[in-house]
Amino acid sequence: MENGDTPQIITHIEHNLNHCLFDCKWIPCSAKFVVIGSLPKGSGTLEIFEINSGELRKIKEIERPNSFKCGTFGASSDIERKLATGDFKGALEIWDLEKSGQIYITKEHTDIINSIDGMGGNTLNCGAPEIVTGSRDGTVKVWDPRQRGKPVANMQPVQGETRRDCWAVAFGNSFNDAERIVIAGYDNGDLKMFDLRTMSLRWECNLKNGVCYTEFDRKDIPMNKLVATTLEGKFHVFDLRTQNPSKGFAQVLDNSSKSGTIWVARHVPQNRDLFLTCAGNGQVSLWKYEYPEQRYHVDSQGVAVGVPGKLRRLQRMVISSQPINSLEWNRDHLGLAVATAYDQYVRVLVTTKLNLQ
Amino acid sequence: MDKVYKIQRQARDNVNTLQTYLTDLQNWEIEMKRKEAALNGDFVQDLPPVRSKARKDKPVQVKKQPEKRITGSDYSAWAKFDVNKACEEVDMADLGPVSLDSKKSQSAKAEKLKEEGRYEKERGNNFVKQEKWDEAISCYNRAIELVKDDAIFYANRGLCYLKKDSLHQAETDCTEALRLEPTYVKALQRRATARERLGSLRAASRDLAAVLLHEPHNAAARRQLEAIKARMGTKGAKSKSSPLSTPTNESKPVVTNPPSPAKIVELPSEPVKKELSPLEKWRNGVGENITVIRPVKKPPHLRSRRALKHVPIQEVPLGRNAHDKAPTRMKIIEINDNMSHGDSNNNDSNKITEKIIETTPHCDGDKKINMKITEHVNVNEVVQNMVPPVNSVQFMAEWKYLKGNNHARSDYLSIIEPTKLPSIFENALESDVLSELLYTLCNNKDKFRNKTISAYLKGLCKVKRFSALAMFLTNSDKNLLNDMLSHCKDVENLSDNEIADLTNKYEL
Repeated sequence: MENGDTPQIITHIEHNLNHCLFDCKWIPCSAKFVVIGSLPKGSGTLEIFEINSGELRKIKEIERPNSFKCGTFGASSDIERKLATGDFKGALEIWDLEKSGQIYITKEHTDIINSIDGMGGNTLNCGAPEIVTGSRDGTVKVWDPRQRGKPVANMQPVQGETRRDCWAVAFGNSFNDAERIVIAGYDNGDLKMFDLRTMSLRWECNLKNGVCYTEFDRKDIPMNKLVATTLEGKFHVFDLRTQNPSKGFAQVLDNSSKSGTIWVARHVPQNRDLFLTCAGNGQVSLWKYEYPEQRYHVDSQGVAVGVPGKLRRLQRMVISSQPINSLEWNRDHLGLAVATAYDQYVRVLVTTKLNLQ
Repeated sequence: MDKVYKIQRQARDNVNTLQTYLTDLQNWEIEMKRKEAALNGDFVQDLPPVRSKARKDKPVQVKKQPEKRITGSDYSAWAKFDVNKACEEVDMADLGPVSLDSKKSQSAKAEKLKEEGRYEKERGNNFVKQEKWDEAISCYNRAIELVKDDAIFYANRGLCYLKKDSLHQAETDCTEALRLEPTYVKALQRRATARERLGSLRAASRDLAAVLLHEPHNAAARRQLEAIKARMGTKGAKSKSSPLSTPTNESKPVVTNPPSPAKIVELPSEPVKKELSPLEKWRNGVGENITVIRPVKKPPHLRSRRALKHVPIQEVPLGRNAHDKAPTRMKIIEINDNMSHGDSNNNDSNKITEKIIETTPHCDGDKKINMKITEHVNVNEVVQNMVPPVNSVQFMAEWKYLKGNNHARSDYLSIIEPTKLPSIFENALESDVLSELLYTLCNNKDKFRNKTISAYLKGLCKVKRFSALAMFLTNSDKNLLNDMLSHCKDVENLSDNEIADLTNKYEL
């Protein structure tokens, strides 16, 4: 309440479901979203809801024998709107939601797919449509929906090394047809950046706690910022514009919240410097990254070193009694978001005055 | 107190913003539903290749540093900039792969061009079948542009030029085709035809001989060769020999080979020695004080560049010198005068004749003398000068010219074959002319003794639309006709049937 321009985070709609929820995604170009979850008996569900003047209306429900864990529309065009899902058994499926049928299924992972991200479906000149999946089996695989059965790229530890559980994957730096980067976070706190053009590991670091979620501020620009959230209420923001050969990227760490695991961090699609973190105590926090005056300086050896900016918390609000495990901003409407939590509620959140920031 | 108020206002503001936001949201929902309904149909996207496949040809598309753009202000760089090379590069980019240096792509390109050339040839051949020579020529032009070393294209274009009577071009094309393929029989035959029509018979016969060498059973070529040999024998190959027949010129293109001056000199020199026909004499202006102007036969680029001189044109009648001009009516009367008044070469003969003519209708005695005289004169002079007309215009001109001279008219009429009357008059006979004709016929019966009056009458009534003319015959005309019919009956022994027929026709 410091001044009148503070954004407000309000729960617009709360809808209780009778099963566990893992992920939620807006269907592009619509007022509908998909909720991905699993029933107590172990089967997976895909439910489509439509917001209808302050109410949620369930349009469709798809049930499958295996629990779904995550999903994305990123590799599909706005007209086709095919949902790619990863399930507990390691199968990647692509769904035609209109016809309620799979159009693609492959099971290359041997264990649960924890995280999925898609890219290239509706952005022109930003590369091929691709899906990246991170699994408990320790591998990160990149898929092209046009190539059946086999991943187009596979990142796994060399023979003999322990396989770490991959918790988070994300695409980024895809500003033309060739360039693309995959970032992967592991349970031991490793954060690895793979360059898909050169097929090499570009950068890695350890964040000391398991990486729960990671996201670029934008996928289709030369990489600018990266957020990685970890256990024990911490998250890191990296400035990716300047990579120092010895020090890597400049970063800013926030561990002020003491709110348990930070499950999700999502950037506002309309403003890349604002992002929302969802914590284990059901709290959502809106942050603003403030750039330093100079984003890099030249050190004594004559090499550019990035300068981290500052984080400012704009608003926080407890909206749930249980951890919020997923959240997505709507691409078409500023301030509209949908979130799922372990309290079996799906919530439509409204954030006002985002445009003033 | 102040703080409490502030908080209250803040809360109210927030509620207001939320309210507007929610209204917005509702509108948005409606709009999204409408948008979504419009979202259907196929979505085609130009996508990059699948990564694993793209990797295979990655070494090929090695990341080339894009050439540095030259900024507008960098004048020194622009000074070094090779515009021609840049243009060429742009052109080449249009043509095909940039890597022209690689042999594979070059042969592929040649193959592609050949394919294009063949396509154009096919089109050209179709036009030839439809006898559209110009279109066919443009097709072959394109084909030749694409593929420069195909004899067929040249030979086919040669054929088109031959059909268009562009003989020199035809010959050049055939020569080019033969240079590329010396045993191309069709090209040889076409060149022979072109040369034959150009007049270089010897070269043509040599070509045909070559054809027969390759194809001894080519009947067409044999026939053509024989025809040419016959021409050479009669006309004398020596006069027609052209520089083309020299072997050195054989392979040279002869687009601009005008008839050499030697030929022109040679041609008239020979026949002059012989007896010239009158027409030939007139053509060369023999015995006349004139310079004969001949048509220029030089190709445009060899002609003089000086401005043309203005030459006043004088009309000279055919086959006569300027001083013995064609006789006119004046002359006839002169003789007439001489006969009646003895020799008088005076200048006022015109007046005298006028008097005579004026007096003729009045004094019968004079008239008879005059008529007899004119009869003689007419037989000698007028008929000699007069030619029977072939159409009504000629007839009317002469007829009007002889107006008032009844004898001349009758003479004129007597030289006309009566059966030709319908074809002369067609449908231009008018009633007043008919009346005059009848009058002339009736008054000079003895002149038509040979051809008979009845023949004329029959001829006249065969003229088109005669029935209409017969309706307008005057009473005097009818009297004349009756007179003539009785004459026919008595003198010319016409049968009753024929008389009745004529009576019917003339509606008497």
